[in-house]
Amino acid sequence: MAVQPVEDIVRAICTDKWDGQRCSASLFKGENTSVSRLSVIPLQHHWDMFRQNVQKPPERLLALIGEINVGHLQRVGREYKQPVEITVEPAPVDWNPAHAIIPQPITRGLANQIIRGLKLHEPPRT
Amino acid sequence: MTTLLPRYFHPAYELDEALREEVVSLAVRSAEPSEADREEIVLKKLGARAWGRLHHFRYFYRQGWGEGAGKPLSPRALEGFHRFVEQFGFPEACTPSLFLTEAGHLELYWEDIRGGAIQVEFTPAGAEFYLQSTEREGFVSYVNLSELLRELQPH
Repeated sequence: MAVQPVEDIVRAICTDKWDGQRCSASLFKGENTSVSRLSVIPLQHHWDMFRQNVQKPPERLLALIGEINVGHLQRVGREYKQPVEITVEPAPVDWNPAHAIIPQPITRGLANQIIRGLKLHEPPRT
Repeated sequence: MTTLLPRYFHPAYELDEALREEVVSLAVRSAEPSEADREEIVLKKLGARAWGRLHHFRYFYRQGWGEGAGKPLSPRALEGFHRFVEQFGFPEACTPSLFLTEAGHLELYWEDIRGGAIQVEFTPAGAEFYLQSTEREGFVSYVNLSELLRELQPH
């Protein structure tokens, strides 16, 4: 069953997609984009999980976490000039039971619209 | 002590006149920029941050980077990127961002004079572009790169 519109999802933003100033559209462009559900694992636990499984020092470091509401994501897709009915499908993996995917192909233009709606979280200060 | 100069030998054959002219014309053709020239151009036009990131993407991102499916930087995408950067005049005081995609493509991102995002992704076959000001996206092969250069050039 698809993730409900009331849920919030996050995506790891690593240094290949973020240079400290701008965010690459390839963060959401394409299909089967990986995201993670905050209703299953809270945001503060995502930092360690992403650091252990997504970043690969020295080349790729976790820089930010981008958060978006599923309902908002779906509205952005529906209101795009070439409307896309976006869904978020649960797809748990060993290292992340909150893992989900956006199966629809997302164009560069739509990816830019989604990125504009992201809430960006910086790493917690230790 | 006497030193003798080596004897002069006539070559066994001489190039036909037409061929000799061809050799001369090829010799004066402008050469492709060297690796060092290209690095210099990237540094000058894109700045130290993008230059450093390009170096990082070339030498540290191997097959399977990221979430397992990342491909290393495509040599043909890199060639297309260099050709674009060499020929394009970025707006003044503009510091473009450089990214690597999972497919092994390079992506440039900067803003036009009105602040609208411009993005160009260099693939092995051509350049995919996005212009926020007109919400236009498209693709040009490297054979037609001049069309994209004209369209993106600040007026």
